[in-house]
Amino acid sequence: MATADTEPGSSQRFEKGTRETLVTVARHAVLLTWSFLVLFPLYWLASMSLKPSGQANSLPPDWIFLPTVYNYLQLVQSSDFVTAFANSLLMVGASVVLVLLIGVPAAYVLSRYDIPKERDVLVWILSSRMLPPIAVVLPFFIIFQEFNLFDSKIGMVLMYVSINLSLVVWVMKAFFDGIPETLEEAARVDGATRFQGFLKIILPAAKPGIFSVAIISFIFAWIELLFGLVLTSFNAVPVTLFVYSFIGSRSIEWSMLAAASTAMIIPVAIFLIAVNKYLAAGLSFGVVIKE
Amino acid sequence: MSTPTKTQTETTNRQGLARVRDLWNDYLPYWMITPMVVVMVMITFFPGAYDLYLSLIEEPTVNILASEFAGLEHYETAITRGGAINSFAITVTVVVSALLLESVIGFFLAAFVTGVESSRLKSFYRVLFILPMAVAPVSLATIGRIMLNSEIGVIPYVINTLTPLTAPSFLSDLPLLTVILLDTWNWTPFMFIIFYAGLSSVPDTLVEASRVDGAPLWRRYVHVIIPYIKPVVFVAVLIRMIDLFRTFGVVYGLTQGGPGTATQLVSINIYEQMFINNAPGVAAAIAVVYLVFVIAIANIVIAKVGFEGVWD
Repeated sequence: MATADTEPGSSQRFEKGTRETLVTVARHAVLLTWSFLVLFPLYWLASMSLKPSGQANSLPPDWIFLPTVYNYLQLVQSSDFVTAFANSLLMVGASVVLVLLIGVPAAYVLSRYDIPKERDVLVWILSSRMLPPIAVVLPFFIIFQEFNLFDSKIGMVLMYVSINLSLVVWVMKAFFDGIPETLEEAARVDGATRFQGFLKIILPAAKPGIFSVAIISFIFAWIELLFGLVLTSFNAVPVTLFVYSFIGSRSIEWSMLAAASTAMIIPVAIFLIAVNKYLAAGLSFGVVIKE
Repeated sequence: MSTPTKTQTETTNRQGLARVRDLWNDYLPYWMITPMVVVMVMITFFPGAYDLYLSLIEEPTVNILASEFAGLEHYETAITRGGAINSFAITVTVVVSALLLESVIGFFLAAFVTGVESSRLKSFYRVLFILPMAVAPVSLATIGRIMLNSEIGVIPYVINTLTPLTAPSFLSDLPLLTVILLDTWNWTPFMFIIFYAGLSSVPDTLVEASRVDGAPLWRRYVHVIIPYIKPVVFVAVLIRMIDLFRTFGVVYGLTQGGPGTATQLVSINIYEQMFINNAPGVAAAIAVVYLVFVIAIANIVIAKVGFEGVWD
């Protein structure tokens, strides 16, 4: 093939042209197939949530149906769902604020100061993500009961912080590394302290990084089931646990379950699309930073 | 009389404030990094140490010193009656196969999307392909239960009516495969988006040079492009591997580790030992081994990869 490509000639060029067309067609075939695989389950869930419960399970499926928001109305009327949804919003939101307050300044220090064994420190920070949550949650289950943190929102916020802190530190360190130090040095010449330089010069410059890491932290906490399962029973139940308890019940009401799941997916989907430009940087812990 | 005292306190206040401000500025890096270090110690050393302690005592007691030493009893129970070995094998199977599938599919998708000429179409695919990540594992379990159910599921229905085959009962006959495929659906976007960023960072000049050499496409990838983005590939694989060892929600929502113990991941085994069998010692023993196991593997990968060319 390699030799054929280097030979000039009109028939050769024609052959190459058809091959390129074939490659293009194959590429689009693969991409469209995957698009279908991605969309079909999502479509199926959403359409089921819009069907009246009698019609939801019928096979062959009713492709054409009158959409109804009845399931969502019922969902909103069940106080359990609203409480769980509000709990999740509150706990996850608070955990994101807290994890940024703890992680961003630390990342700045790791980026700007000489830290002994910096690499080992970074690997240690990453190792907090290597601990399987179940192994972490076991001691906290016992400790939380001692300190009255069991089934409390504060306890859940702390656990959510624990899963995202390594992500925040890594991503923000990479972002700070990319911001030239001359920027803050100029501010310091003008009489600003180091901290003022950090607040007024560096943080605004790192805004895209903070924004994306906040949303990704939100998502990782939002989809977490285990902590809710182990550490809550009534007061601090997150929405994932609500959906799970739906599955666990004896006779599953499919269309309601579909509605609850869809309601959980939509905010995250919007976030993901909003942040898609910086998604790679966040998910690769800052190693891939897109300009 | 009152005026001088007032100014005096004011000055001491101002002095105190100045001292606090100096203290703040002089030790700034320490103030900024300490909260993170405290939380990190709390979530790394403490749980590991407590798991170890719990695994070595008879029963947890309020007074830590009053507990009775149990030796390796719980470790023995974990292996003989706890199904520890079985659940480790299942976890490794899931991690390896899902990681492989997600990496390969993610890479091909990324390469194909990078090759799309129209930039509008490109961003359309990019946004579309990340959508599955919006689905929480427990919602994915919901989708799985709805679509694969042998009575009301659309996938068995399509297999039965459109093909001569009879649909297997996915959740009872092929539970492990189902779990792996669902996770692949959920997290291939993760690999895709990182690989895509890596591939987009390959300089055009590098690709052009290899194209002039007349090298065929696949050889361009193997010899030029993949070596160039190797650090990115390694990091993506490492992070995804670490996260795969954390898998819980999708399996717990889908099969709860069953049927039998067919999909009993280590994380589910630990959960059941603790909360269903009421055996915290056994749960902790498995947790300790799992911690060491995962951290060892991750560190081997890190040592091999070395993050060379990633940080510096």
